[in-house]
Amino acid sequence: MINNEISHESFSARIWRKTLGGVGVKLGLAWVIFLVFAAVFAPFLANSMPLLMSKNGVISAPVFNYLSQEDVWVLAVFFLALFVFRLKIGLGKRVLVYVLGGFLCAILVSLWIKPPVLIIYDDFRSARFTDVDWRIMPPIPYAPSDYLRDLGSKGLEAPLATDGALHLMGTEENGADVLSRMIHACRISLSIGFISSGIALVIGVIVGGLMGYFSGIVDMLGMRLVEIFEDIPTLFLLLTFVAFFGRSLYMMMVIIGVTGWSGYARYVRTEFLKLRKQDFVQAAVASGLPLTSILFRHMLPNGVAPLLVAASFGVAGAILSEATLSFLGLGVVDAPSWGQMLDQAVKSSTFNWWMALFPGGAIFMTVFSYNLIGEAFRDAIDPKLSRNAGVN
Amino acid sequence: MITYLLRRILLMIPTLLGITVLVFTVMALSPGGISPQALIGGMDMKPEERKALQDYFNKRYGLDKPAPVQYLRWLNNVSPIGFHTDEQGGYTEFSFTKGMDLGSSFQYGRPVFDILKERIPITLLLNLVTIPVTYFIAIAVGMKSAANRGSTFDICMGISMLALWSIPTMLAGVLLLGFFANVQYLQWFPTAGISSREALDMPFLPHWNDSGFVRGFLLDRIWHLILPVLCLSYGSFAALAKLTRTSILENLNSDYARTARAKGLSEHDVLWRHVFRNSLLPLITVSAGLLPSLLAGSLIVENIFSINGMGQLAVEAVRGRDRELVLSITWVSGFLTLIGYLIADFCYMLADPRVSYD
Repeated sequence: MINNEISHESFSARIWRKTLGGVGVKLGLAWVIFLVFAAVFAPFLANSMPLLMSKNGVISAPVFNYLSQEDVWVLAVFFLALFVFRLKIGLGKRVLVYVLGGFLCAILVSLWIKPPVLIIYDDFRSARFTDVDWRIMPPIPYAPSDYLRDLGSKGLEAPLATDGALHLMGTEENGADVLSRMIHACRISLSIGFISSGIALVIGVIVGGLMGYFSGIVDMLGMRLVEIFEDIPTLFLLLTFVAFFGRSLYMMMVIIGVTGWSGYARYVRTEFLKLRKQDFVQAAVASGLPLTSILFRHMLPNGVAPLLVAASFGVAGAILSEATLSFLGLGVVDAPSWGQMLDQAVKSSTFNWWMALFPGGAIFMTVFSYNLIGEAFRDAIDPKLSRNAGVN
Repeated sequence: MITYLLRRILLMIPTLLGITVLVFTVMALSPGGISPQALIGGMDMKPEERKALQDYFNKRYGLDKPAPVQYLRWLNNVSPIGFHTDEQGGYTEFSFTKGMDLGSSFQYGRPVFDILKERIPITLLLNLVTIPVTYFIAIAVGMKSAANRGSTFDICMGISMLALWSIPTMLAGVLLLGFFANVQYLQWFPTAGISSREALDMPFLPHWNDSGFVRGFLLDRIWHLILPVLCLSYGSFAALAKLTRTSILENLNSDYARTARAKGLSEHDVLWRHVFRNSLLPLITVSAGLLPSLLAGSLIVENIFSINGMGQLAVEAVRGRDRELVLSITWVSGFLTLIGYLIADFCYMLADPRVSYD
C-alpha cells in the first residue's frame, strides 16, 4: 500500500532545509559568522589597552574610554539586530524597526561618545598601566595602528619570531601587527559586501521590474542601459568612478553598488516578463492596485528565488571589488583593508610571505564562503542547475 | 546573414555612444571635474607660464566650455564622419572622410591612437593565449569528471574548482611572483614585462651557437608569459570546467545518447562523437562573457607583472585624470567586448545547425 503523505512544508522552509543540508554551506556560514563576530568585537579582540585592570583596589576598564564612535555604533547595531531577531513581528516591520533604530543609535552615539583625539599607545606599556594588581589584556595585545616604537620594533618580523614581542602573523613594514590589522579590516569587507550588493539589488529590482512589467519601449531602453553597464569591464568602470570621486568607505559602497546592478536587473526582467501575463497579476491590475503594490507585493515574491542566488554571489563579487580597488591603490585611505594590506606586501622592498598570504587568504576564505552559500542556494532552488544535476 | 551582421553592427553604435556618455558624465560630475587647474595641479611654474598652459588646454580641448559641448566636441573629433576643425578650434565644413582623431593624452603629450597601438596588442596577446589554455584544461577536466561521475576525482574536482574560482587573482599573482620570481626563493621566472631587453635582438627560434644555447625570441616570450597566463586562466577554467561537466552529464542522459548506446556503440564513441558536440553549446554562450572578465583580469595581472598593456594604461589614465585616454580606452574595451559577443553568436551558429539568424 502506498502511504500518501502530504507535505505541509512551505516553499521557503524547504529551500532553507535543502540549503543548510550540505557540509560546505555550514562551513561557509560558520566563517561568515566568525567574521561578523570579529568585526563587531574588534576593539576587544585586538587592542593595546587592557580590557580590565585593578590598580590599588580600583577596578577600571580602559578599553571603554578609547572606543571610537564607529566602534560603539557597530556594537549598538549588533545588539539591536539580536533584539529585532527575537521580536515577533512581520519582516517589513522588522526591517523598519532596525533601520530606524540604527539611525537613532547613530545620532545618540555622535552626541554622547567623545573619544580622546590622540591615543599614545606607548602609555599603555608605561607604569601607569603595567604596575597594577592584575589586568586582563585582549587576546592580541596590539592595536592596528600601534607601531610599537617603544619596543624597538623595526617591522617585518616573521610570524612567531622569538626576538621581541610575539606576533602570530608577523608585523608589517611599520611594525604594526598583521593579525590585529586584519581583524579591524573585517568591518570594511563585510560592510562593503552587504551594503553595496544591497544597493545594487535595489536598483536592479526597480529597473528590471519596470522593464519586465511594461516591456515594449521601456524594456528596449532599459536593456540598452543594462548593456552599456555590462559591456564596459566592471572593474574598469569602478576604477573610473573611484578615481574621479572620493575615496571614503561610503562612496566606495555606493560606487560598487551603482556599477553592479545590471545582472540583477536581467534576472528580475526575465522573471517579470514571465509573470506579467499570469492571472494573478492581471487580477491585481484589474482591481486597480497601485503600481508599487503590483510590482513589489504581488510579482516580486514570485520571482525572488533566483535573485537570492545572484545576491549571494554578488556579495562575494563586491568584497572582491573592494579588495581589488584597494590593491590597485584606489581604496579607502585611512583604515587598513585586506586588499590594501596585500598591496603593501607588493610595494614592500622584499617579499614577505606573511604580509601577502594572510590578508589574501582572508579574502579567499570570505569569497569562497559566499560562493559555497550561493551554490547551495542555487542547488536548492533550481535542481536543474545543481552540481549533482544528471547524476541520478 | 549579411542583414543580420549589419543590424548587429548598427546596434553597437548606440551602446558605444552610451558607454562614452556614461564615462564622460562620471568625469564631468566629479568634484573638481576636468579643468586645466586640476590637470596642471601642483606643477611648479611661473604665473605667466601657468596661464599660457591653461590657455593651451582650454583651446586644445575646449575645457572652458560647458560639459555637453565638450562631449559633442570630443565626439566630433572621434567619429569618422563629422565637421573639420581648424587651428582655432572652429568648425568649417561637414565631411565623410575626415578620419578619426582620438585626441592626445594630457599625461603623455602623445596622440592617444599611438599609445593604444602600442598597448592593445600586448593585452590581446595575453588574452588570446589564455583563452585556448582555459578551454583546453576546462574541457579535459570537465569531460573526465563527467565520465567518472560520483568518483573521488569528480568530487575533489568539484570542490577544488570552486576553491580555485574563489582565489582572488591578486593573491595568486602576488604569491606566484613572490615564490617563483624572487631572489629570496625560486628565481625561475622573470619578474616583469613580456620580453627581456636582449631577446629583442635574438633570432625567433631557439638554437645553439658558439656561446651555447640561445633561447630565441619565441622561447623568451613564452617564458615571460607563463606566470601571467596562469594567473589569468585559472579562474575562468574553474568556472568552465563545472559548466562542461553539467552540460555533458545532461547530454549523456538524453534520449539520443541512450539510442546510440542501444545501437551498440562503445561508450567512447557515444561520448566523443555524439555527446561532445552538443555539450559545446553552453560553453560557446559563456565564451561571450569571458572576454570582458579577461580584460578586467588582465588589468590586475598587468599591474602585478608590470606588463605595459591596456590594463596598466587604464590605471595610469584614471589616476592622471587623463580624459582623452580614459574615454578612448573605455570605448575600445567596450568595442572589443561587443565584437566578442558577435563572434560567440557566430560560433554558436557553426556548432548548432538548428540556429540561424536569418
